[in-house]
Parts: sequence; C-alpha cells; structure tokens
Amino acid sequence: MNAAQLSTDNKNVIRPHWINRFLEGWSIYKKSILGKIGMVLLAVFALMAISSFIPPKINPMYEPMSGVDPYISKATGPSMRHWLGTDFIGRDLFSQLLVGARIAFLVGISAAFMSVFLGTAIGMIAGYAGKFTDTLLMRLADIIMVMPSLLVLLMLSALFSKLSIWFIVLFIALFRWPGVSRVIRSQTLSLKHRPFIEAARVAGASHLRIIFRHIMPNVLPLSFLYMTFQVTSAIIIEAALAFLGFGDPSTVSWGMMLQWVWKTGHMFKAPYWLLPPGICISLITLSFYMLGRAMDEVLDPRLRKEGENY
Amino acid sequence: MVNNSEAILKLHYIFKKYKTRGTFFGPQSKDVIALNSISLKILKGEIFGLVGESGSGKTTVGRLIVKLEKPEKGEIYLDGQEILSLRGDQLKGFRRRVQMIFQDPYQSLNPQLSVLDAVSEPLIIHKIGNNHTIEEITRKTISSVGLSPPDDFINRYPHQLSGGQRQRVAIARAMILKPEIVVADEPTSMLDASISAQIFNILLQMREASNITFLFITHSLAAARYLCDRIAVIYKGNLMEIGPAEEILHNPKHPYTQALIDALPKLDLSSSKKYYNSLRKEERIVKENAGCPFFSRCNVSDETKCGQNIPPMKELGKSHSAACFYA
Amino acid sequence: MPLLEVKDLNIHYHVQGGILKAVEGISFSLEKGRSLGFVGESGCGKTTLGMALMRLLPSNGFISDGQIIFDGEDIRKKNEEEMRKVRWQKISMIFQAAMNALNPVQRVGNQIVEAITTHSPLLKKDEAFKMVKNLFQLVGIPGDRIKDYPHQYSGGMKQRAVIAMALACKPKLIIADEPTTALDVIVQDQILQEIKGLQEEFQISIIFISHDISVVANVSHEIGIMYAGELVEYGNTEEVFESPRHPYTKALLSSYPTLNGEKNMLTPIPGETPNLMNPQTGCRFFDRCPNAISSCKINPAEWVTISPTHKVLCYQCGRDCGI
Repeated sequence: MNAAQLSTDNKNVIRPHWINRFLEGWSIYKKSILGKIGMVLLAVFALMAISSFIPPKINPMYEPMSGVDPYISKATGPSMRHWLGTDFIGRDLFSQLLVGARIAFLVGISAAFMSVFLGTAIGMIAGYAGKFTDTLLMRLADIIMVMPSLLVLLMLSALFSKLSIWFIVLFIALFRWPGVSRVIRSQTLSLKHRPFIEAARVAGASHLRIIFRHIMPNVLPLSFLYMTFQVTSAIIIEAALAFLGFGDPSTVSWGMMLQWVWKTGHMFKAPYWLLPPGICISLITLSFYMLGRAMDEVLDPRLRKEGENY
Repeated sequence: MVNNSEAILKLHYIFKKYKTRGTFFGPQSKDVIALNSISLKILKGEIFGLVGESGSGKTTVGRLIVKLEKPEKGEIYLDGQEILSLRGDQLKGFRRRVQMIFQDPYQSLNPQLSVLDAVSEPLIIHKIGNNHTIEEITRKTISSVGLSPPDDFINRYPHQLSGGQRQRVAIARAMILKPEIVVADEPTSMLDASISAQIFNILLQMREASNITFLFITHSLAAARYLCDRIAVIYKGNLMEIGPAEEILHNPKHPYTQALIDALPKLDLSSSKKYYNSLRKEERIVKENAGCPFFSRCNVSDETKCGQNIPPMKELGKSHSAACFYA
Repeated sequence: MPLLEVKDLNIHYHVQGGILKAVEGISFSLEKGRSLGFVGESGCGKTTLGMALMRLLPSNGFISDGQIIFDGEDIRKKNEEEMRKVRWQKISMIFQAAMNALNPVQRVGNQIVEAITTHSPLLKKDEAFKMVKNLFQLVGIPGDRIKDYPHQYSGGMKQRAVIAMALACKPKLIIADEPTTALDVIVQDQILQEIKGLQEEFQISIIFISHDISVVANVSHEIGIMYAGELVEYGNTEEVFESPRHPYTKALLSSYPTLNGEKNMLTPIPGETPNLMNPQTGCRFFDRCPNAISSCKINPAEWVTISPTHKVLCYQCGRDCGI
C-alpha cells in the first residue's frame, strides 16, 4: 500500500494533518526522476558540508583559510597529500571545496529563508489589506525588483570597504523578496474571496486570525516551493559577488576560490583549481532547482487531481 | 410555527449597486443596480424564502444581512437595533447572533482544517467554554446535523467528505453559536436531489429544536414551498411579490411569479400545460426602462402604464402583496 | 432497426489505485425520432455514457466490453478518422457547460460557419452563412445578432447558439448532457420547448442526460434511471413516473419537492453512493434500500419485465414486487 492510499483510506487513524499531507506529497515526489537526482546531489553536498570539519582536525595545514603546506608555496596539481592540489600559496584545495559547500548551504538557505519569510509576510499583508497598503507595498516591491542589485552592492562595499558574509546574506534577502511577495499576494487575493474566508468573517474572526489560521496554511506550500528557487539564486548571487571581489574576504566560498584562480592568473594554467568550484556551483544550483521542479509537481493541483477524484 | 408576528429583522429601503469594471476593449465601467429599494420584514422563528433567478440580487440581500457587504442606502435593523454602524465588540456580539450557510460546500470549508477545528472555530473566536467543553459542544453539534457517530468525522478533512457531509459540517459551524438568524444561501444547489432533501430536513429540525429564524435564499420555488412559511420573489433587484408560501404558489398575483411557476418543470406529467401564460412570446425591446422591471417580458403589461411608472407594492390582503398594477 | 443500439456496455477508468467501473452492463436502444432521458445523481456514470457514445472518453477511460451499434455500424470498430466523420455530422452533442464552449474572441456566427465548412468543405462560405441564419431563426436568435461576440449574448442565447451548432450538420442523433443546468427556470423552460419542437420537426433522436428528473420527464419519450454505474429502471416515461418500481426511482421521486398537491415531508435517501472501485457483488443499492433482503447483498440484481415498455433491475421486484 502506498502512502497516498494510506492517507486517504485509513480514516480512523488519527494522525496530524501535516504528516498525511507530507506522505501524500512524498508519494508524488518519489515518481519524479528530477526530484530523485536533485535529492541525491543535495545529499552529496550535505555530506561535503558536514565533513568539512574533518581535514583541519587531521592536520592543521588542511585549515582552508590559514593552513599552508610548509613544503609547497605555489599551485600544484592533485596528489596523495592534496587530493585536489594546492593553491598559489600552498593551501589545500579539497578542504577549501568542502568548506565552500558549507558556506553555499549557509548563504543559500539562510538568505532564501529570510527572503521567503519577508516575501510571504509582505505578500499576505498586501493581498489581504488591499487598497492603499497593497499599492504602497507593491510599488516598493517594484522599485526593489528593478534595482540593479549587483551595482548597489558594489557601491555599498565601496562605502564600507569590507562586507561580512552575514551582510551579504541579509542583502540578498532584502533584494529577493519582491518576487515571492508578488506570488503570495496573488494567491492571497484569490483566497481572500473564497467562501471559507467569508465564513470565518461571519463567525467573527479577527483579521489576524484570518491571516494566520486560514490564509497562511494555504500559502505556505507555495512559499516552500519558492524557497528552493530562492536558494538557487542566493548561491549564484553570492558566488558572483565573491568572484568579483566583493565577498567576505575572511570566508572561503566557491566564488572566492574562483576569484583567487582568476586574480593569481591561474585561470587557464590550473584546471584542477578552476573546475571543482565551478562544477560545484553549477551542480548545487541545479540540484536545488530540480528539487523545486519536483515540488512544483507535488503542488500542482492538475497533477494531483487524477488521484483525488475517487 | 410562527406564533407571534414580531419582526426580528427589518430591511428598510435597501439600495445596493456594484461597479462593473470596463474591459480593455469593451464598454466603460458602469453601475449595476443589485438591489433597488428593498424593504422586508422577517418574523421571529419563521423560515423566510427569498426566490429569484441568478443575478436577481437575492444573494446580495443575504450578504448584506450578515455584514459581508454594505448597502449604499437604507437601514437594517436586528431587534430594533441598527446594524450597519456596528463596530468592535458590538459587531462581535452581532456575529454571534447572525450566521450564514454558504452555497458551495466545496469552497466554504478551509481544506487545511479538520472538521473539529472548523466547527469549533466560532467557539474559540467568541471565547466560549474551555478546551474540554469546546470539544463536547462540537461533538454534540456535529451529531445534531446527522454526522454520527461524531468520532468518525471530527478528525477528517474536507477532501475526505462527500458534498452532503461537507454541507452538514458547514451547517454545524453556523449552528454552534446558537444564532438567532441563519442566512442559508442556496445551500443545496451544488448537491444531488436526494442529498438536498437530507439538508432540507436538517434545517427543518434545527428550526423545530431551537426556533431559529432562517432566511432561505433559493432559485427553486418548489424548495421554497417545502421549507418556507413566507416567500418573497425578487427580480432584477426589485421585490415583486411577497406573501405566505402557499398563497404565492397557488395564487400568485405578479406576472413574473406566474411565469416562474409556469416554467418550472413538473413531475406530474398530466398538468404540464402552462396555466398563467404571463410571459411574452417575444421580448419587447426597451432602451431605457423607466417602469416595471418585468415590463419587457410581461404579457399583461401596458405600454404606457407599465413602461413609464414603477408599480408600487399593492396590499392584496392576508399579508400578501405584489408590485404590479394589474395584481 | 433502431437507430442506436447499445448492448452490455462497460466503461472503466484507470485511476490511482486501480480500475474504476464507471458504467457496467448498460443496454438500451433508441428509435429514430424518439428521445431518451438518462437520470441519475452525480457519479452515476451518465456523462461517461454520453461521452462513450461519441467515443470522447478522457484518456484514462476506455470501453472494456459491449457494443454500440449506430445506424447499422459498430462505433467501437471505427478508427479516429472515421469517428471524426460521425461526430457532428451524424451524432452531435450539447455539452454540460456548453455556453463556455464558444470561443470568446470570435463572432458567434463565424464559429458555426467554420464548424459547417470544416465538415462539408464543398460548401461555399456565403451558403454556409445562409444556413447559419436559418438555424438561428430556428432556435430563436434574432438574425441581427449573428455577428455578435459571445459576451454580448445572454446565457440562454449562448445555449441556443450551441444548439444551433449541434443542429448545423443535420445529425441523426443529439446527445444533450445537462443542456439547461446553468440556466434560470424560465429560460430553461424555453430552451427545452425549443429542443422538443426541433426534435419533432426534424425527427432527430435525442439522448437527454440530466440530474434533474423533472427536466427529463418533460422532454423524453423513454427514460432510464441510473444508479452507481448501472441502469436500474428503464421504460416509457409515463409508465416509469406513474408506477415507479425500483426502490431507488421511488426514493428519488419522493426526495423532490413539488409545487402541487400535498406538502409531504420529503424522504431523503439515507447514506451515500457506493464506491465504484470495488462495488459489492449484489445489488448496488443494497445499503440504502428500504426493502432489501439478505439475498440482495449476495445475488446480483436481475432485470424484470413489468410490461413490454417497462423493465426494472431488482431482485426483489422479480419475486413479489410489492405491488
């Protein structure tokens, strides 16, 4: 018996609604090849991020930022001692790559979470309140959406000279919420006039209650979906910033690694240095994207209808 | 059932219009009059039927009464108290007294809430009872609408219920606060006939048990006859005829009511002939109608009289009145 | 020879978790110029039946068994190309939400002209236009509205236009699936009279499909009551209405509020329609039937002939019938 059957057939089994929903969603998700590939890739990256703590423990020269191989002071290719080789001052590339995965997750997920949180809250408020509030918030969203974010960041970094990774995360979140808020707003607008919202109004529910009890649970799945796409773009933005030299100089990220390759003129001389971070950036964004696509299939009611009719 | 003729709800010259938004290429926006000076009295404990076609404004009346919308002009009184200006706590008190059952049970329940959560929500909003009594009251209400044993249903979600069961849940939600007035907006139009009959009987039982006043909004005269004590017929936002249910059905005076009765498909095949023939074969082409709203389709009407003047409500005795010069 | 003969038709759907038996063992025949009404509640398979006759089932539905003989030919044996010639020209259909079937950005008249010319390419455009004008007159749309767009029409007029479209190729059979469900009573009545008149005038056979028993009662010569994918009672309309035999038919009739006569308490049918994924072996109405006996649960119901024009699918009625 598959999960979908479990959730609809066993009416007597008392189980929280969200578990049923999750199992139902999972059974649809499982059928998507894209989703499976994305999951496997993500698992690999997660493993990389977790194991990034190990190399420095083995030998302090594997410290990704400060550890330098005492015998090597130039870029060298892969060897038993340095699986991916070393960079121009003898730092281990493999341990840098592992830390990069950690930073990518950190930046991607926290920036995406923040932007989706902001976008969902603002979208719901704008959609539900309507009128002046709606106009104000949506014009603000428009302004931010058309602002060239890289340019603004370049200016900011020129002003403050050094940007910490958390500032970049916050910055990405502040620049990425308008897209989410637009989607959530339109969803809220369509929910607002549904009879079950009106029924809550007739029952005397306050606006807060309607927003949190009735609208939010119905838009959250969409927010989650958008979060996966936001992760993708957050990682790309961070990598781009770092590559251009506006990243956090005290953090090793894949973008930062690429910047070092380029800055030190190893672009075409050291493929063992250039390729791994480049491939990793592509693959991690791809895997989040595939995750999102598979979740899209789960959420798309047209696909769910087939099983729901009977 | 109606032992005293005390009015619980009064509508006083209600006027409501909607603005239609002009399409990009189409006509400019214009006002559509949804209700044109409607005055009604609903008596305590009765089931009052409001019958009309789609777009007649019958649903608007219900939505105005539960304060989902506001009229442009006119007043609504509940037990002598004006309701349109209610705010804050007074509004919350009003919400306890007036409830609504919506048309589409597939849309009127939040898909994310279990039956227990949905039905008990009004209690939580109005802070009635503690955790224990809330569940107790909810169970009782759920079984009173025919969902028994309640344990089989309280943990289900709307998608695990049939249309009829969903509508029962919606009724339970409306009834749990023990309201004085319930507006039932075509509660069975999405349901099969045999299920509709179940719902009708539940409404009748509810009235029997707790003397709730119902405003039953419907397009079907037959359903109105079955449920209602009094019926008002509404057409294009105008009240056409009002009176006791049997009187309206067996002695209709307004040509529109007569046309409705003629048009209703009958199960009794022997009497399928048209009786009143009050509908014109070909519609009159009327540019700007200054007179009776039914003028263009009315067989009885007079060009000058009905085309120029709006017929006033005429008392025809026994609380039966019709808005027709020829009634 | 009847125009349409359906023998032991079974229609199944592939759905998540198995096969849904939407229609089982339906047989009937329809003579030229007669009309037949199918009544049943939602999910009883009536729409599926109509779609199957046109071979327009959704992709997960299929006819698993049975014969559909139309005009001496087996519909099931035709390929898609041949079917296209049958549809609209010989069998046409008025859909459930037909008013939405009109393309909003094309003039109503042009849409029907196009429908005609694609099916008879030899026809000149102005001839087709003349045909449409006649058709509109027939269904009661003023000739000057022919160049209007659908949004300028009222609901009733759109439905009339769709009926005109269905008549355009002079079909032998029209399948009208809930043709008036979205309309107001007065307009519904006018449209039904219109269809009835046209049918008598052109000797078209019509299959009405509706959830509203009173609609079907007024327009069809024969009537079939459907329940949970099966035909449970079939016969001459007057006979069925005057002396309904199947407990479901009786229950259905007594759950309708009426305008005339005594104001009786309505007796709703208790319970819900059965799950068609794995229906019980015996009578499908068993759970809700007031006079079921234990053997009804095991033995499938049997057809009992009441008169040459009236039969009923009920095991009990075959025994004593409770007349």
